[in-house]
Amino acid sequence: MPSIVSVNVEHLHLISNHIPTIGTVVVLVLMTIAFFRKDEGLKLVGLEILFAVAVLTLPVFISGAAAFQKLRTMPGISSNAIRLHQDVAIYGFVWLQIAGFIGWVALWRARRFGRAPKGLTIASFLLTIMSLIVMGRAANLGGDIHHPEIAGAATTATDFLQAKISNIMVNSPWAWPSSETVHFLGLSLSFGVLLTINLRILGAMKKVPFSAVHRLLPWGMLGFGLNFITGMLFFIGQPGQYIDSAPFYWKIVFLVVAGANFLYLTVFRKAWAGNDSPNWQAPGIDKAMAYVSMFSWLVVLYCGRMLPFIGHSF
Amino acid sequence: MGLLNWLEMLPLSVWVHESPSIWAQPTVMTFHTMGMGVLVGACWILDLRLLGVSRSIPLSAFRWVFRAVGIALVVNVITGVLLFMARATLWGTAFPFLIKILLVVASASTVVPLRKYVMSHGDTGDVDSRARMWAMLSIAAWAAAITSGRLLAYTVAG
Repeated sequence: MPSIVSVNVEHLHLISNHIPTIGTVVVLVLMTIAFFRKDEGLKLVGLEILFAVAVLTLPVFISGAAAFQKLRTMPGISSNAIRLHQDVAIYGFVWLQIAGFIGWVALWRARRFGRAPKGLTIASFLLTIMSLIVMGRAANLGGDIHHPEIAGAATTATDFLQAKISNIMVNSPWAWPSSETVHFLGLSLSFGVLLTINLRILGAMKKVPFSAVHRLLPWGMLGFGLNFITGMLFFIGQPGQYIDSAPFYWKIVFLVVAGANFLYLTVFRKAWAGNDSPNWQAPGIDKAMAYVSMFSWLVVLYCGRMLPFIGHSF
Repeated sequence: MGLLNWLEMLPLSVWVHESPSIWAQPTVMTFHTMGMGVLVGACWILDLRLLGVSRSIPLSAFRWVFRAVGIALVVNVITGVLLFMARATLWGTAFPFLIKILLVVASASTVVPLRKYVMSHGDTGDVDSRARMWAMLSIAAWAAAITSGRLLAYTVAG
């Protein structure tokens, strides 16, 4: 499908591939300064950026896998070099998602109890360092793709992680169906939580202070996490059927929007500052955010369910 | 068989099954999934509250759940009937489909005692053990219903 997105997907990866490395450096710098200045606010900013970097790394990963499919048959390109880069990128991606998740838990607790717990902050700092190291290596190997003369490691590598995951997802009789089932269960759980929180912002459950529904966010995160993991298994298992699919790209776009909204729901201050009380009424801008949130999740679901019909995936 | 055949031959069933339009089977299925998300999500949130999550929210604040469940149930019965009609001879004779319907009916029936409990116990703190049992049953039954439904794509229509 010659859409604008798929034509430029290699470009997209070249531009966005700096996000995980530069982003994690920014996070580490901010958090280090915050540590020495004992600046609680700056620490939270660092954690917020960490979450944003983790979310934005999803399109980076997707665009990379898409670029691989486009470039693999080009002369002068070592397919093995790309595969090696992709494998290390998978590891870096996993580390960064764990860092982002721990950072999110710290932010959630900070909003509830006033400050981010030390242990979680240190854990997300260390996990961010780990992500940077692995992502740095992935970036390094990415550079090798165009310089086969220095890509020593790639020529000997044979046993690729991506191929192993794909093998299980495609050949195991239960892997795909059970992942789909978990994907549907996780979807329902996230929907329930986000419906509750957004309805509160829109004026339902007026007697309930916002902090009480904020308490439900980790359950939404649990549902989303299940879907994120199973979704990545589908994508890494069968990338070819997604990278040319228009609804798949729209799904990613709206996932990023929904991710930004999720961060907002976690940290936004208005409902808490001095009026964490029953009968809190959301200002218009937050009501608009609630509509954006519900709309984004509906689009994510719509695009996902439509994958076999508008595109050709399953 | 005669009845199932007749259902499947209705113009509406043929349209849902055979039309290449995006508004036919794909859209009906997508609405069925959206309804599922709202229906099960709303039930699970109430179940979690009854089991002790977010205890600070008064039970009476959860009455919106029943309206959401009602709307989603209507959407899913309509879309479900359409999907059934489209391939009535297939679904009507498939044992896994029967299991799915029974699980959905069982899950939806747990809403009745839960609703009765929430409507009569406004804001009291502790939830009694019977209501907690219904809540656990509701979580498990919906999970089983979703699982059996998703696997129909492999057991029956695969």
